[in-house]
Amino acid sequence: MSTKDRKRRGKWDTYKSQYNADEQSGSSGNGGNSEKDTSAIPKAASQNLSQEGNVVLTDEFGGKDYRRDMPLKADYMSRPLWVAPDGHIFLESFSPVYKHARDFLIAISEPVCRPQHIHEYQLTAYSLYAAVSVGLQTNDIIEYLERLSKSHLPKGIIQFIQMCTVSYGKVKLVLKHNRYFVESRHSDVMQKLLKDKVIQSCILDDREKPVEQTEIQTQEKIKFSHETTEKEKEVGENSAVPADIDEFYGKMDGDDEEDAEIRSLQLLTFEIKQESIEIVQKRCIELEYPLLAEYDFRNDTMNPNMGIDLKPSTTLRPYQEKSLRKMFGNSRARSGVIVLPCGAGKTLVGVTAVTTVNKRCLVLANSNVSVEQWRAQFKLWSTIQDKQLIRFTREARDQPPTGADASKPVVCISTYSMVAYTGRRTFAAEEAMKFIESQEWGLLLLDEVHTIPAKMFRRVLTIVQAHCKLGLTATLVREDDKITDLNFLIGPKIYEANWMELQKAGHIAKVQCAEVWCPMTSEFYSYYLRAQIARKLLLAVMNPNKFRICQFLIRFHERRNDKIIVFSDNVFALKKYAIEMQKPFLYGETSQNERMKILQNFQYNPKVNTIFVSKVADTSFDLPEANVLIQISAHGGSRRQEAQRLGRILRAKKHSTDQFNAFFYSLVSQDTVEMGYSRKRQRFLVNQGYAYKVVNKLPGMENEDLKYGTKELQIQLLQQVLATSDADAEEEDIKEELADGTIKVSRREATMSSMSGGQGPQYHAKARAITERHPLFKRFRT
Amino acid sequence: MVNVKKGVILTSDPAFRQLLIHMDESRQLGSKFIVRELDETHLFIEKDVIPILEERVESIMEQMNPESNEK
Repeated sequence: MSTKDRKRRGKWDTYKSQYNADEQSGSSGNGGNSEKDTSAIPKAASQNLSQEGNVVLTDEFGGKDYRRDMPLKADYMSRPLWVAPDGHIFLESFSPVYKHARDFLIAISEPVCRPQHIHEYQLTAYSLYAAVSVGLQTNDIIEYLERLSKSHLPKGIIQFIQMCTVSYGKVKLVLKHNRYFVESRHSDVMQKLLKDKVIQSCILDDREKPVEQTEIQTQEKIKFSHETTEKEKEVGENSAVPADIDEFYGKMDGDDEEDAEIRSLQLLTFEIKQESIEIVQKRCIELEYPLLAEYDFRNDTMNPNMGIDLKPSTTLRPYQEKSLRKMFGNSRARSGVIVLPCGAGKTLVGVTAVTTVNKRCLVLANSNVSVEQWRAQFKLWSTIQDKQLIRFTREARDQPPTGADASKPVVCISTYSMVAYTGRRTFAAEEAMKFIESQEWGLLLLDEVHTIPAKMFRRVLTIVQAHCKLGLTATLVREDDKITDLNFLIGPKIYEANWMELQKAGHIAKVQCAEVWCPMTSEFYSYYLRAQIARKLLLAVMNPNKFRICQFLIRFHERRNDKIIVFSDNVFALKKYAIEMQKPFLYGETSQNERMKILQNFQYNPKVNTIFVSKVADTSFDLPEANVLIQISAHGGSRRQEAQRLGRILRAKKHSTDQFNAFFYSLVSQDTVEMGYSRKRQRFLVNQGYAYKVVNKLPGMENEDLKYGTKELQIQLLQQVLATSDADAEEEDIKEELADGTIKVSRREATMSSMSGGQGPQYHAKARAITERHPLFKRFRT
Repeated sequence: MVNVKKGVILTSDPAFRQLLIHMDESRQLGSKFIVRELDETHLFIEKDVIPILEERVESIMEQMNPESNEK
């Protein structure tokens, strides 16, 4: 554990130095970029609780025995939490005060695992940073945690919370009336900042006194239009809730965090020169008081309003509203990431955020299809007009406004790869980029933030001047631990929804997950044992038993009038399966037109009930009708992919009953590497509370007339598989290249000679594959 | 002349049988151990390799499920 951490921090340091270099060379001199400080990390962030390891007794299963250190309180029965000295928090989800504790814990800690009865959370420096940035105070956190806990808080935890929170969030950098103010309610902090030489030189000196107290105006709360404001409070109904917890909950739940006692403190502000913002930000980090950037969009008069609103018919679900309220607390906009499961209406949250800020907005998505979907969603939910929507992609490019309209605010939708592209552009694209660079964006909306690598993201940030950034994602996990980068690049995690609760409330579909074990046939397995790893994967996917089970499942569900998506990462298998079963398929090289056609047919044509797709459809393919998902091959042990794929069928179904209304089958060839991968892939969803059912025999299969029933046919198939070139046997990489702008580094094993091109046929096959690539993808090669 | 060999009949699923044949052919246990391949699910193997074979199979199974032995 400790070596891993050290490694991570090492990585951070290199990022930091890279970043600083960037800043010096490419500094735009524009004061509008107010969030630069987010990439530098306060020292406290590198603290880690689990490192302060005092010896803890562990039992034979690795469980930790804290009985000595954590005596229970007298009324522990009515309190829902255990706070372990290593920063892990365990919550009883059946406790009467569960609701109180849950909202609080989501704010201050990271959910680790949330099955049905006991939820596990973890306190980290990042999560505490996030807590402070949404307005919680150090003492509140400690006090409330103490009240909820069954035992007294361990000393280490209190110290940790204090250390992580005491310096965060005390000082804010606010942009209002187009002037920059440093704001704080803590006079001691303010004094310290004012005494600092560097900061003194940056203060705008047109006043006698640099410190002034602004009158506390009654801030009007932000209303998301048409929201249901009446909150059913069932306070007092539950006698099992200890009074102190309940009282505190009201305070937490109360719309904003600036509660009375803090409000009574003076709000101290001083204005700083626009050109010296970056100096101040840097200096404040050195002084351990990082500035929290907020955007007071209500009072921003320089950037014109868009004048759009949500349509009257649009209603927000409670959790969507909650996430937005966190973002727009105290009537200003904060940067951050909102985590909602796929299909839970992330787009609507995004659209609402845009209409709330009501300034110029740049939306970045990760594929052209999702750009179209964003556009459609904007039109569906809001009163935006066509000319206010600008697409900037390879296929569809709308003209940026010119002439008299040039200063009119717009919503621009583009892709990451388009904005971060470094190669040569066409003239029109160049113009559009100039437009994007020259604007001061009110809000930068980042769809599927987990997919973008830090480097590309940083490039986007240097190009785009935005006051406020909102990231949207379903799966804040990456196999490479880079996810923490986002915390400081965009902002802290503002909100994370609980999948199981949304499922219970019917906001997302109830999914039955099943792992179907397909026995390998003996011929396939004997070749499997002798093959190299890439070929092994192909043999495992092409296993005739898997094919038969897949065909059986498709027939079974088509008879129930279900809509089925079959996923395969391996393009050879994808084509083979689809052609054998005579179903449409689409993958990286399918043209945009054909894709749209296939997707539309799938949605509206009752004769097309099944489509085969490659990993291009993993994210952002909105297929609301689909309710059965069969996965025949996957990308190694990627947890994110599994969750994203599940997301394709999560959209709430029309006839919502208590029964499962969506099915997720993962077909796994027995005794192959797929088994291990599958276990790993499931971890994320299992942590969200999903249970996988293992199926190794499907009843009724004997009665079906399925393909590859005889030995001869199976051997024929085997020969076809063995005859494929190595290039075909590999997974499809195209998508990854598209998204990153760089060639993906894959984890596949290969021999030395094949790496260096020593295996003749492989080299030629690869070369051919590239020349045959669809023109659409050519541009991404330099 | 009659050769007498003590052996064991082993029943397995077809895939596992292939694994054993593969081990036999690549001599992972030092020598060949399969006396006769009987049919799809049965093998006749030498008796004295059984303890080593069991150990090997155990470790192969663990390799296939890396997660289960992590905890």
